[in-house]
Amino acid sequence: MPQIDVVGGEPRRSKGPGARVPRWVSKAMLYLGVLAFLAIILLPFYWILLSSITPKFKMFSIPPRYWPDEITFENYRKMAQTIPFTRYLANSFVFAFGSSVVSVALAFLASYALARVRFRGSNLVFMGFLVSIAVPQVGTLVPLFEMFRIFHLINKPIGLITLMSSLLVPFTVWILVSFVQQVPAEIEEAASIDGARLPQILWHVVVPVVKPALATMTIINFIISWNELLYPLVFATDRLTKTLSVGLVELAVDPSMGAGRPWDLMSALSVTMIIPVLILVLGFQRLIISGLTRGAVKG
Amino acid sequence: MAQMAAGKGATMDGQGRRKRRGRGTSLAGQRYLAAVLLLVPAVALRLFTAFYPFVHTFYLALTNYNPAFPPAQFIGFGNLKRMATDAAVTSSIAFTILFVLISTLLELVLGLAVGSLLNKPFKGRGVARAANLIPWAMPMVVCALGFRWMFDGDYGIFPDLIWRVSGLRFPWLINSWGSRAAVIITNVWKSTPFLGLVFLAALQGVPAELYEAARVDGANAWQSFRSVTLPLLLPQATTMGLFMLVWQLASFDLIYTMTGGGPGFATQVLAYNIYQAAFGGLNFGYASAISLALFAVVFVMGGLGLLLYRRVEVMF
Repeated sequence: MPQIDVVGGEPRRSKGPGARVPRWVSKAMLYLGVLAFLAIILLPFYWILLSSITPKFKMFSIPPRYWPDEITFENYRKMAQTIPFTRYLANSFVFAFGSSVVSVALAFLASYALARVRFRGSNLVFMGFLVSIAVPQVGTLVPLFEMFRIFHLINKPIGLITLMSSLLVPFTVWILVSFVQQVPAEIEEAASIDGARLPQILWHVVVPVVKPALATMTIINFIISWNELLYPLVFATDRLTKTLSVGLVELAVDPSMGAGRPWDLMSALSVTMIIPVLILVLGFQRLIISGLTRGAVKG
Repeated sequence: MAQMAAGKGATMDGQGRRKRRGRGTSLAGQRYLAAVLLLVPAVALRLFTAFYPFVHTFYLALTNYNPAFPPAQFIGFGNLKRMATDAAVTSSIAFTILFVLISTLLELVLGLAVGSLLNKPFKGRGVARAANLIPWAMPMVVCALGFRWMFDGDYGIFPDLIWRVSGLRFPWLINSWGSRAAVIITNVWKSTPFLGLVFLAALQGVPAELYEAARVDGANAWQSFRSVTLPLLLPQATTMGLFMLVWQLASFDLIYTMTGGGPGFATQVLAYNIYQAAFGGLNFGYASAISLALFAVVFVMGGLGLLLYRRVEVMF
């Protein structure tokens, strides 16, 4: 067989002179592609960063300046004075941390039941979680708003965390089920023969094994919640609950700023918002990639 | 995979329980109790914040409910009739579908390109793979405002770069199709790296011997991509395509912060209409009716996508 292939391959290769390009050309094309890729990926971040350290009077120049010639942190100082920055920062942190921890905790319990406890209908529950992803978040706002008004949950961190963790639960269940399935059942069986009860098995046997997966999903869910706009925009209307994303949008549409948008403040706040997620992404790159690709590749 | 395994578990359980029944059903009972206790928190959360609001929307859509002027009055199909003649909504249904279709298509094609690029051996591959995560991790709000700034007719970098190359100035955000294109470009920039990541992971699972065999057979880069990479990635591509299709139908942040639906209502999408009707106009009944339109679009697009998905699954 291989001989026939080689024989069959030879004439085909020599058929067109352009069929095979020299090695250095393909190498050069590869690096050109990489450079183009990096430029496209990094340009917006560079542009926002550049704007944030450019003095305001130089920002509005035609043509735009491509390189920094005068660096200032004045935009950051002014931004922190214009909006209640530290308050919003704390709110964002509480919202993102609370949502990620609650969603991962609840999803872990559910995914253990779906992956390990054999019961009729487990398939149905799993499908229910997945199908519920299709319900558009924005389409449920009105009934949720009514419900939250009745239960006095508007402008309460606990209300926001409830909504956000619910949004995150289906994905988290999807990913965690595949992780829990990989835990060898023998460990739990041994523990249960030794007389350990379910909560003990979960805490002392399963959690230590799937800890990397739980950490991964906590980080991913933290980033998603940190970036979330819609729920805080609707359910946080005072300075005690508004997040940085809401603060940014309010700067962008603030009528007191006149017709021109305050790009100096907006770019400074944008960079401030990106820095924490950037640190997480660069620090936990491997974990995040494993979590993000899990559902799609295994599913 | 998860579903399959769960399904297998269920059938095995059926047999196991039958065997055990002679000795008593306490184990099965205990098992059910455990499953219920573990599932209750997550399921209850979803029921209260997704299922119940979904069902309640159908009722609210038939009322003229305004939280500033309660109580709600039942007005039958009044909202739906109004919606049919509301140009803002009808044009927004069209753009929502267009936005999602073009975005998904571009994301799949470019995601495949990014995945194959990052799978090639080159110096600095680790850096490139890390950089690929940045658009995914950036808040959509920041992307939308950043791109708006970059597309700005006077001070933006894109019109300036295009002008330097071609000598033409195009007012992206003032022109209807320009702003539609700008919104889609921003969305594709933000979402493609995630697909690239998924395709990269799938590509890493393709045995190198397949490419070697293709090379021995005299296939060039394009031919080996077409006959090896593409067929192997098609299952992932359809899954992700279906997912992105449904997911992006609910896009709100981007439109709200980047264009506010403008100019005119050129870039309005259903999610934006719902928000405006509900929290701009306090017209909860009408907002619920538009939500039903969005549910219908999700249902139809998701259904069509699922049909396509089945097709592809049968093919391979």
